[in-house]
Amino acid sequence: MATTTAKPVATKAKAGLSWGMILSVLSMVMILFGLYMAFVFAPAAVNLETDVEQYSQRILYFHVGSAWVGFFAFFVTFVAGILYLSKRNFVWDNLGHASVEIGLTFLTMVLVTGAIWAKPTWNVWWTWSPRLTISAIGWLLYIGYLMLRSAIDDPARRARFAAVFGIIAFVSVPINFMAIRWWRDIHPAVVGSGAAEGQGGFAMSDSMRNTLIYCVVAFTVFYVTLLYHRMQLGKTAHEVETLKQRMLMGD
Amino acid sequence: MNPLLYLMLAYAAFWLISFAFIFSIFNRQRKLDEEVAMLKQLLDQQGNE
Repeated sequence: MATTTAKPVATKAKAGLSWGMILSVLSMVMILFGLYMAFVFAPAAVNLETDVEQYSQRILYFHVGSAWVGFFAFFVTFVAGILYLSKRNFVWDNLGHASVEIGLTFLTMVLVTGAIWAKPTWNVWWTWSPRLTISAIGWLLYIGYLMLRSAIDDPARRARFAAVFGIIAFVSVPINFMAIRWWRDIHPAVVGSGAAEGQGGFAMSDSMRNTLIYCVVAFTVFYVTLLYHRMQLGKTAHEVETLKQRMLMGD
Repeated sequence: MNPLLYLMLAYAAFWLISFAFIFSIFNRQRKLDEEVAMLKQLLDQQGNE
C-alpha cells in the first residue's frame, strides 16, 4: 500500500526531470563558458598598475551578472505581488517567494564578491558609500520578507502580507541603481559609465563589453533554472499543507 | 602575496554560495517528497478504517 501511495510523487518528479535537467545542463554550460570568457577571452585592463588589481578586475563579470539577477529577481517579486493581490492565485505567491530566495542568494554573492574586489582596489573590504549602504539595507529588507513569511501560519494572510512587502521593498532597487548617479560614490558606474553624472566610470573595450553582456545572459538563464526548481519546491510545500488540512478534517 | 588570491577568493565564494543554495533546494524537496508520501499513506489508512 505504501508503494502505491508514494508513486504519484515519484512520477511527478520524473515528469519535471526533463525540463529541469535541460535548464540545469544549459545554465551549467553557459556559466562555465562565462568563466572562460571572464578569465581568458576578456583582455586585461590597461590602466591598472599592479597584477593584483589586474586580476581582481575580472571579478567584475560575475559581480555584475549577480547584481543583475538580484535586481531582476526582486522585480519579478514586485510583479508577482501585484498579480497575487489582483488575482489571489497562490501561483503568484509561490513565484514571488521563490524569486526573493534567489534574489537574496545573488545579492549575497554581490556583497561578498564586491568586498573581495574592494580590498585590493580601495584597500578596504567595506565602506559606507551610498551604493554599498543601500545594498546592505536591501539585503536586510528581503531577509525581513522571509522572516515575515515564516511568522505567519495562515497561507492566505501570509501571501497577502508578503505581496505587499515585496511591492514596497522593491523601492530599494531603483534607488540602489541610481545611487551612484545621484550621489558622490566611490563605486564605479559600469552601466552608462559614459554619462557625465557617473562617478568613477570606466571605459570598456568591445571584448570586455561582450563578456559582460554574455555573463548577464548566462546568469539570467541560471536564474530561470533556479526559479524552476524553487517553484517545484513551493508546489510540493503547498501540496503538504493541503494534505495536512485534509488529515485534520478527517477526509 | 599571490596576485590571483582575490580573484580566486571571489569565484570560490560564487561557487560556494551557488552550490549551498542548490543543495538547500534539493534537500528541502527530498524532505517534502517524503512528507507527501507519508501523508498520503496516512490518509489512505484513515480512509480504510
